[in-house]
Amino acid sequence: MKVKEIMTKDLTAAEPTMTVRELIELFYRSGLSSVPVVNEEGRIVGIISERDIIEGALPGYFEVLYGITDMNHLSQKLREIENDRIEFYMTPEVITIEEDEDDLTAADLMIRKNVKSLPVVNKDGILVGMLRRIDLLKDLL
Amino acid sequence: MIITVTPNPAIDKIYWVERLCLDDGELPVMRATRSYLTAGGKGINVSIFLARMGIENIAMGFIAGETGRAVERRVRDEGITTNFIWVEGETRTNVTILERGHEQRPIQITEQGPTVSPEALKRFIVQYKRALSRARYVFLGGSLPPGVPVQFYQELTHLAHQHRVPVIVNAAGEALAHALTERPWLIKPDTRQHRNVSGVSLRTPQEIVSAGKAWIADGIGAVLVSHHITHDLLITREGVWDLEACDVRFKNLLGAEDALIAGTLSAIVQGASLLEATRFGMAAATASAESEELVVTDRTAIERVLPRIQIEQL
Repeated sequence: MKVKEIMTKDLTAAEPTMTVRELIELFYRSGLSSVPVVNEEGRIVGIISERDIIEGALPGYFEVLYGITDMNHLSQKLREIENDRIEFYMTPEVITIEEDEDDLTAADLMIRKNVKSLPVVNKDGILVGMLRRIDLLKDLL
Repeated sequence: MIITVTPNPAIDKIYWVERLCLDDGELPVMRATRSYLTAGGKGINVSIFLARMGIENIAMGFIAGETGRAVERRVRDEGITTNFIWVEGETRTNVTILERGHEQRPIQITEQGPTVSPEALKRFIVQYKRALSRARYVFLGGSLPPGVPVQFYQELTHLAHQHRVPVIVNAAGEALAHALTERPWLIKPDTRQHRNVSGVSLRTPQEIVSAGKAWIADGIGAVLVSHHITHDLLITREGVWDLEACDVRFKNLLGAEDALIAGTLSAIVQGASLLEATRFGMAAATASAESEELVVTDRTAIERVLPRIQIEQL
């Protein structure tokens, strides 16, 4: 099967100029936890997740603060960055897959790169969907 | 790629009952003999039709809450690309009750829909502009939820024209009146509740033809108006045609208008002339009206109806 036949055809994405507050609102309302970041033409320029935002507010949080007891600190730090553009926190190097690739190539890429989802692009590099692990599992049944 | 915009999507719940017992003096309890649940709204109905005809399209609009999730899931299950903006609140649930033998007069309860914030509107425009770079046609249809200005379709038509993308508008009232100023390629005034546009009456065939010719003279590409339950008028620069569906056995009129416009658009995309496309659209509308299904998308069933669609040039 080709990736375009099994992917989730959803174009939900963020723009580099979006603020952290707007992104949190997007995650909260949509139930998504990461989205590709695209330019005006729909080309992918990054990817951003909830984790990137937390790490943006509290660098090193995941490594040293497992026993955090004061949420006020995180809240204060989040407020400090809420109006920042997300381009400062996104991951600019994005692993993508072309829509005409086959499912085996996609599965191999996801395993090797240890990612839960892959933005899918057309031959012009424009975002056309997302391939999630569950899309592959459903395809295999 | 076709873009469909449904500013106010819904989950449509349809009940069929044997008899509506509202005057019995008792608390009425009606048992549905059948029910049907679907994602709805004009643009979404058009998207579903196009997808089932094998035509790729993107469904856009504003959704919210659990009902919004249900809409998104059902749209995706049809193989349609989704690009909705999430807003606070809850997407509409619209309820329709059809009484056996009186299907032409459904009882409908519609909700207002969630309020769209200025930020959500701004995000929509950003995503819409991005989608336009891949679009062949844009379809704009249906009511506007709270927070969406009446100039919304006008702005979307203007942006589409900047990308040289033709626009079809299926709306009513002020939203349509404003859109007319941008001269869409095809308009289909929704005359179910409003029989006038910008103060121009659309009650009789003569009034419709007169208004249509004025709009065409003003630069609008074509005008399609349903003026009777079995008659549509198509007005273009080349002429005026009355299309009649003959020997219709009505079961459900709910999706007929959306089937008309979706069928027309699908045939245009596949290379038909506007007149032939409208004939196919009317066959789709008739097939839908004769079925309990909201919108019939079976090409064979639609083509079976085609010989009953008669065209007369006026």
